[in-house]
Amino acid sequence: MLVLGTVAANIVRFGFVAALAAALFYYRCARTSSPRLLGWARNSYHLATVALMASASVLLYLILNHQFQYKYVWEYSSTTLPLALLMSTFYAGQEGSFMLWALYTSVIGIVLMRYSSRRDYETEAMSVYSLILSFLMLMLVVKNPFTFIWDSFPSDLLKSGAIPGGITNVVVLDAAKGIWAQYPSEGRGLNPLLQNYWMVIHPQILFTGFSSMAVPYTLAVAALWKRDYNSWIRVATPWAVFGSMVLGTGIIMGGYWAYETLGWGGFWGWDPVENSSLIPWLLCVASIHTALNQRKSGAFVKTNIVLSLLTFIMALYSTFLTRSGVLGDTSVHSFVDPGMWVYWLLLAFIAVFSVIGFGIFFVRIKEMQKLPIKHSYFSREFALFLGAFTLSFVALFVAIGTSSPIITTILKGKASAVEIAYYINTNLPLGIVICLLSGLGQLLWWKHSNAGSFLKSILTPVALSLVVTALVFFMLGSADFRILLFTFCAAFSLFSNLKVGYGVFMGNPKFVGGSIAHIGIAIMCLGFVTSSHYDSKATLSLERGKPVETMGYRLTYLGYKELDSERYAFNVQVEHGNTKRVVAPIMRFNKEENSTIRNPDLINFVSRDFYVSPVTVEEASQSTDVPLRLVKGEPQQIKGLGVEFQGFDFADEQRAAMAEGKEFFINASLQIADGKTKRRLELKVKNSPSGAEFIPASYISSDGRTYEFTLRQMMPSQQDPSKSAVEINVKMPNDENVPKREETLVVEASIKPMINLVWAGTITLIVGFLLTILRRSGEARLNGDKWEGDKA
Amino acid sequence: MKLKIIIGGIVVIAGIVLGALNFLESNVEYTDFSTAERTNKKVQVKGEWMKDQPTNFDAEKVKFSFYMKDEANRVSKVVLDGAKPNNFELATSVVAKGKFANGEFHATDVLTKCPSKYEGTSETVKKSL
Repeated sequence: MLVLGTVAANIVRFGFVAALAAALFYYRCARTSSPRLLGWARNSYHLATVALMASASVLLYLILNHQFQYKYVWEYSSTTLPLALLMSTFYAGQEGSFMLWALYTSVIGIVLMRYSSRRDYETEAMSVYSLILSFLMLMLVVKNPFTFIWDSFPSDLLKSGAIPGGITNVVVLDAAKGIWAQYPSEGRGLNPLLQNYWMVIHPQILFTGFSSMAVPYTLAVAALWKRDYNSWIRVATPWAVFGSMVLGTGIIMGGYWAYETLGWGGFWGWDPVENSSLIPWLLCVASIHTALNQRKSGAFVKTNIVLSLLTFIMALYSTFLTRSGVLGDTSVHSFVDPGMWVYWLLLAFIAVFSVIGFGIFFVRIKEMQKLPIKHSYFSREFALFLGAFTLSFVALFVAIGTSSPIITTILKGKASAVEIAYYINTNLPLGIVICLLSGLGQLLWWKHSNAGSFLKSILTPVALSLVVTALVFFMLGSADFRILLFTFCAAFSLFSNLKVGYGVFMGNPKFVGGSIAHIGIAIMCLGFVTSSHYDSKATLSLERGKPVETMGYRLTYLGYKELDSERYAFNVQVEHGNTKRVVAPIMRFNKEENSTIRNPDLINFVSRDFYVSPVTVEEASQSTDVPLRLVKGEPQQIKGLGVEFQGFDFADEQRAAMAEGKEFFINASLQIADGKTKRRLELKVKNSPSGAEFIPASYISSDGRTYEFTLRQMMPSQQDPSKSAVEINVKMPNDENVPKREETLVVEASIKPMINLVWAGTITLIVGFLLTILRRSGEARLNGDKWEGDKA
Repeated sequence: MKLKIIIGGIVVIAGIVLGALNFLESNVEYTDFSTAERTNKKVQVKGEWMKDQPTNFDAEKVKFSFYMKDEANRVSKVVLDGAKPNNFELATSVVAKGKFANGEFHATDVLTKCPSKYEGTSETVKKSL
C-alpha cells in the first residue's frame, strides 16, 4: 500500500508534465500546423487525463480500504462511514477538492477537444486549456494528497529499535537501521456538518460548473489568437450557457443544503464560500447576454471578450479568497491555512492567466472593428447591454464585499468582514434594475422599437404586476418601498416573459429557452421577497408535554429519541388547522470535543415552510438550583436566608497532609442568617491525588426545609485576601408552590411564506438553460457566418 | 455621444458611492471593551472566553452569557442573543459583535475560532493509534 501512494504521487507529477507538454505541442502546432505535432499534442493531453484518472482512482481505493498510513485518508475518513459518504471524503479536504477540480477540467477538455477540432479551434483553444490543466495539476504536485502520516507527525509516530509486541499497524521503513512507524487504526472521520447526502452530490455539480468556467476564457483567448472576433461567439456560447446552468444548479443546491440541514435559517448567507461561486456565475450570465447582441449585430466584440476573460479570472480569484487562508477568522467557515506554497501558486495562477488574457487582448485591441452603433436606446440591444452591465456591477459588489478582510487589512490594519446588510443594500437596487430590464428587454424590438406598439405590449404585464404588488402589500404588508418595487419589477419580468414566451412558443418552440430562464429568475426573485422579507420568527421554550401557541401553530415537545451514541432527534408535534405533523430536529453532541451540532427540520406546505431549528435542551429539574457567587463579607439573600462567605479554612494539619502528598481538606466558611439565628456552615473540598471533590452540606432551616449547599469553585485573591470569593450552588428544597419543571426544549420556529417559489423558479431556470443549450449548440454546428433569424 | 458618457459616468459614480458608503457602514470596527463602552457604537471585540467564570443560559429569554477577556486584558460579561455558539468550548479565541450597555456587552453575534477543528494535531493522532 505504501508503494501505491508513492506511485500515484509520481503519476500526478508525470501528468503535470504531460499537460504542460500538450500546451507546448498545441502551441507549436498552431504555428506550424504539422499533423505530427497535433498527434503528439492530443496524446499528451490524453496522457494527462489518464494520469489524473489513475491517481484519483488510487486515492479513492486508499479511502475505501481505510489506509490510514496516508494523512489525507486519516484526516477526513473513518471506518464507520457509510459507503456513499466514505466516497465523498475524496473531496472533503483541500487536496482532494483540487483533484476533483483538475479531474473534471481534464474530462471537459476531452469534450472540448472534439468540439473545437470540428470548428477549427482545436490547436489554439487546447493550447490554452492544457496550460490551465497543467496549473491545476501543479497544485496537486505541491499539495500532494498521498503524503504519509508519519511525515506529518514524525515525533509521535516514527520510532526506532525493536518493535514491541502487541502493537499493530506498524510499517517498517528501514529494516537495516531499525526504523519503523506506527499509524492510526481509525481515521478522524468526516466533519459531522458534512455528513449528509448533499455532500455526495453537491460538490460534484459545483466543481463541474466551476471547471467549465475555464472554457469561455479559453475560447476568447483562442479567438484573439486567431483574429476571429466574430464567429467565436457562436462557438463559445453553448459552453457559457452550459457552465451557467451547472454552476447555477450547484449554487442553489448549496443554498438548499444550508437551509434544509445546516440550519442557517435561510438559503443564502452571503458567506465567502457561497459568494466565490456566485461571482463567476454572474459574469458568465452577463456574457451570455452581450453575446446575444454580438450574434445579432456584430457589436460588443470587446465586451464579450472581456467578460469571458473575467469569468475565469474571477473564478480563480474566488478560489484564492477561500483557499489561501487570507480571509482568516472573519467567517463562520474555518479556512485552513494551506501554507505559503499554495498561497503564492494561487496568486501566480491569477497573474499568469490575467497577463495572457489581457495581454493578447491589448495587443489586438486596435484590430477589432468598432461598428457604428445601429441600435437606438429604445431597443433590445441596449436593454441587453444594460442588463449585462448591471449583472457585472452585482459581481463587483459581491467581490468587494467578499474581499473586505483584505481591503480592511490594507486600510485599517485589521481584517474585518462586511455585514449581510452590505450585500442587501447594494444588490437590492441592482436587482430591481435587472428584473425591470429582463422584462423590458423581451418586449423591446431589436434595433429600434416603436413607442406605440411598445406601450401596448407593456400594458397587460404592468397591470398584472400592479395587482401582484398590491396583493403582496395588503396580505403581507411592508413599509419598505424598495421591497415593493422589487416585487413589482419581478412580477413585471414574470408577466412580460410569459407573454413573449407564449408568442415565441407558438412560432418556434425551440426558441423559448430565454423566456423560460427569465420566468425562472422572476419566480425565484418573488420567492426571495416572500420567504426572506416576510418571514416570521419566534424563539420558544417547550416544556415536555405542554403545548405552546405561536404564529397560529401549536407546538408540543413530545420527547427525544436516541439515534446513535451522539445524535438525538427531538420530536415536536406541530398542529395547524386540521393538520397534525411531527418534526424531528436533530442535535448532535460530541462529548470528546464538547460541541453541539444542530440540524433543523421543516414541514413543507404548499404556501409556506414551517421551520424548526433546535437551540438547546435543558434537563428536567425537581428542585431549583441557584448558582451564587459570593465575595467575602458581602451577604446575599436567597428565599429569606442570608448567605455570607467568611473565608477559607485551611488548618495546619491539613497543610501538613498536603505537604506529605496525602488526602487533605479545605473548607469554605459560610454564615447563614435564618431569621434571628446565625449559623456557620462549612463547605468541604476533599483533595486527593485523583482530583478535587466538592462535598455537599445540608442546612435545615427554622421552618424545617432542607437546603443543600455545594462549593463549585474557590477564587482566593492573593493580593487582597479580603476580596476572595467562592461560587456555590444551592439546591432549594422541594416546594409545592414551585412547580417542577419538565425537560425543556428550546427551539427557534419560523415561517417562510412561499419559499416553494424559489425551488420552482430554480427548476424553471434550469429548463430554460437546457433549451438554450440545445438551440445554441445546434447553431454552433452550422458553419458559416449567417446572421440568425430575426425574432426571439 | 457626450450625453451618453455623462449619463454613463453618473450611473457608475452613483454605483460606486452607494457601494463605498455601504461598505464603510457595514464594516464593524474592531476595538476593545473600554472603547466600546465610551462610543456606544456597534463594534467587534476579540478576546478569550474566561472558562473559570460562570456561564449561563436563560431559556426563557434565550440569552447566553459568559465572561470574556479582551486584548487589553479587561474582563467583561457578554450577553449573547441566542444559544451557546457551536464549538464554543473548543475556541481559542472568540469575536463578539455588538454594543456595550449597562456594564455588559450585548452581542448579536459571536464567532468562534477553532484552529484544531479541521486539522489533525499531534494529540489527535496519538488518540487514534
